[in-house]
Amino acid sequence: MQTRYADGRAAITHVTTLDVGTDTIAFRIGETEHVWPYAELRRADDGSGRVILKRHPDTGERLYLDETDSARLIVAAPGLNAKRAFGIEGPGTIAAITGAAWSLAAVFLLAVPLGAGPIADHVPPRYRAQIADISWSQINAFTEYCDDSDEAARILNDVAYRIMQESDVPMRDDVWITIVDAPFPNAFALPDHSIVVTDDLIALAEHPDELVGVIAHEIAHIEHNHIMKNIIRSVGAGIFFDVVFGGAGAGQMVAIASVNLASLRYSRGDETDADLRGLDYLDAAGIDTAGLARLFDRFAEQERPPTESEEEADGERSGGFPTMLSSHPATAERAAAARARSREGLNPSMTDAEWQIVRAACGGVVLPQSEPAPTAPPNAPPTNQPPVATPLPAPGTKPD
Amino acid sequence: MTVETAEAQSFKHEGRFLNVLGLALKNAGLSLLTLTLYRFWARTAMRRRLWSRTSLMGDPLEYTGTAGELLRGFLISLPTFFLPAIFVLYIAPLVFDPATAFWLVAGFYVIGVPLVAAARYLMRRYQLSRTRWRGIRLWLAGTASAFAWASFGWTILQTLSLGWYSPVARMNRAKMMWEHTRFGDQPFEFIDDGEPPAKGLWWPFALGWFAFPISYIATLFIVFAIGAAIVGTGAITGEQMSANPMLAVGIAAAVLISMLVLILFCWAPYNAAAMNRIAALISIDGARFKLRAKTFSLFAVSLAGWMITIFSLGLLAPMAGFLQVRYVFHRLEIIGHPKFAEIGQAIVPEGKAGESLGDAFDLDMGVGVI
Repeated sequence: MQTRYADGRAAITHVTTLDVGTDTIAFRIGETEHVWPYAELRRADDGSGRVILKRHPDTGERLYLDETDSARLIVAAPGLNAKRAFGIEGPGTIAAITGAAWSLAAVFLLAVPLGAGPIADHVPPRYRAQIADISWSQINAFTEYCDDSDEAARILNDVAYRIMQESDVPMRDDVWITIVDAPFPNAFALPDHSIVVTDDLIALAEHPDELVGVIAHEIAHIEHNHIMKNIIRSVGAGIFFDVVFGGAGAGQMVAIASVNLASLRYSRGDETDADLRGLDYLDAAGIDTAGLARLFDRFAEQERPPTESEEEADGERSGGFPTMLSSHPATAERAAAARARSREGLNPSMTDAEWQIVRAACGGVVLPQSEPAPTAPPNAPPTNQPPVATPLPAPGTKPD
Repeated sequence: MTVETAEAQSFKHEGRFLNVLGLALKNAGLSLLTLTLYRFWARTAMRRRLWSRTSLMGDPLEYTGTAGELLRGFLISLPTFFLPAIFVLYIAPLVFDPATAFWLVAGFYVIGVPLVAAARYLMRRYQLSRTRWRGIRLWLAGTASAFAWASFGWTILQTLSLGWYSPVARMNRAKMMWEHTRFGDQPFEFIDDGEPPAKGLWWPFALGWFAFPISYIATLFIVFAIGAAIVGTGAITGEQMSANPMLAVGIAAAVLISMLVLILFCWAPYNAAAMNRIAALISIDGARFKLRAKTFSLFAVSLAGWMITIFSLGLLAPMAGFLQVRYVFHRLEIIGHPKFAEIGQAIVPEGKAGESLGDAFDLDMGVGVI
């Protein structure tokens, strides 16, 4: 096929003869002489065969070179074989895009956690209650309220109020503990300052101080507003990566995974913070932190991979608690920190009778205790406790 | 000269699988490296590659769009689409009561129907305006809003008719698109050949409508029968099934892939018939088009595209676009000669922004051949 020219005004081509010069190409169409400097030329083909030239800025004109002219042109103007001539980005552009992407991600990693605190502190109570509604609907979906836990919940709330009073926790009148039936040992603090304790956690605890240690930890989350901060961080991450790094598939998965790792780090920071503050509460209320250390030891034991003999025993160990793993600092370190602040000679946080009532919640079986609780701890809660802020929720609903 | 006796010119597509795969892999790698921000450049490079390998009468198509235009379009869509979407999807559920939040989200999805239609129109307009042949630009007249609301109405009729209005709706959308398409200053036509536009589509549609649910139920029955037989013979115990979640995931994946195969297979006759019928009704300056899409070949190319997309976690989705483009152009011919000497350049401006909503809805699977 011969070299042809299209003028960009009609969809036809004209056969022509090309003169390849040092700095320009020239060709004649009818009476008109066309001279195109190399500096104004760009490639309109993709480099896979014959050269097609256009001008920059684009006039719509095209020059379709035959094989001979294509070869001559590339020798005379090698720049027309460079990526730039095709409009393909060079390594500099790719480096700039990569830098911009990771800079945006870095800004997010710094800005969202930094902004989460002030934003969380200014969330109006009405919106906090709406968010709590959602949390409760999720909890109600996989747990069941225990009808027989009213007395046990009152005992736990009394102990919680006592330790909050000793540490002057500002929102102590709003905190309310609910016991639920769930197939895992855990406790959660919610945006409306509720604390949910599962029956399996109660069953796992062998001494009241172990359970109270966990409750102190959850109170610390409430005092430091960790729950709302975490929600703001998560929502911020979702928005940021949906918008900025839209797209789909594995690329977006990598982007999202990088954020989850970052928020996990901050979440672990919150957990450490809650651990330390919870130990302060226990200290101030005269409750031995060794109880919490023993519970952590038990968690650590559960998190340990099973040995071959245990695997052969098939079911000797349950294989850990995923809910306690992901966002918490290493359990052994937490146990060591709690044990370091243990003091001897303190009485248990509940009487034996109270502890038996708590253990019996949700149809629980009262098991032999590893350490007997005394009948009258010196720091027992006063009988004229102020009423808790929220009434006990009906089954399957949330407190007001 | 009748259509049957007019000289036919075949389109050609010379894209090679490995060549395009190399570009797709490079794009995938850079997309991972840049946390997907490279997608505008990747899409542009892939379109350039696919367009330049498509030719008519020996002259290739040319894609003149740039990544900067796509990026600019995306930035425009941030306040116009993403901010309302963020409010409805992220903020409303946190600050409104559940009923209000539900209705807001439901309303958003209802509005999403015409929005997606508008996005398709805008995307097509952008792509056509960046496509040249012999230096002459294609373009799309009309407004996206007119197409969006008309398409919304047809969607309602499709829903009310349990899908049976779909053949008419499909032809209506094609007619509206093609009657607004221009090559330079020459309009395309969606001709009236004296027959209903949906002629020949009803039997293939009925086949898909009835065959899919029947074969879907049959597949589920077979899968569960095989599962029950395996458990029954003791090859796998119920305890092993519950102890090994990957087994359940594998069964779920097998069911989903079976469903995909069934959907593609049951609807392939209808899709092939609709593609051929639409092509047969398109005309430019008296020249007509003819497409020879067949059920089994269309099924094969669609299935291959989906498998590549699924097993590459979406990273090689442009390969599916490539397979479709190559399939169509290998089977497309133009019958008759438009008077190319009389077709002049379009005088409408190109516009500077890219596809905006198209990116927001992720419509194009990385290529954007709508």
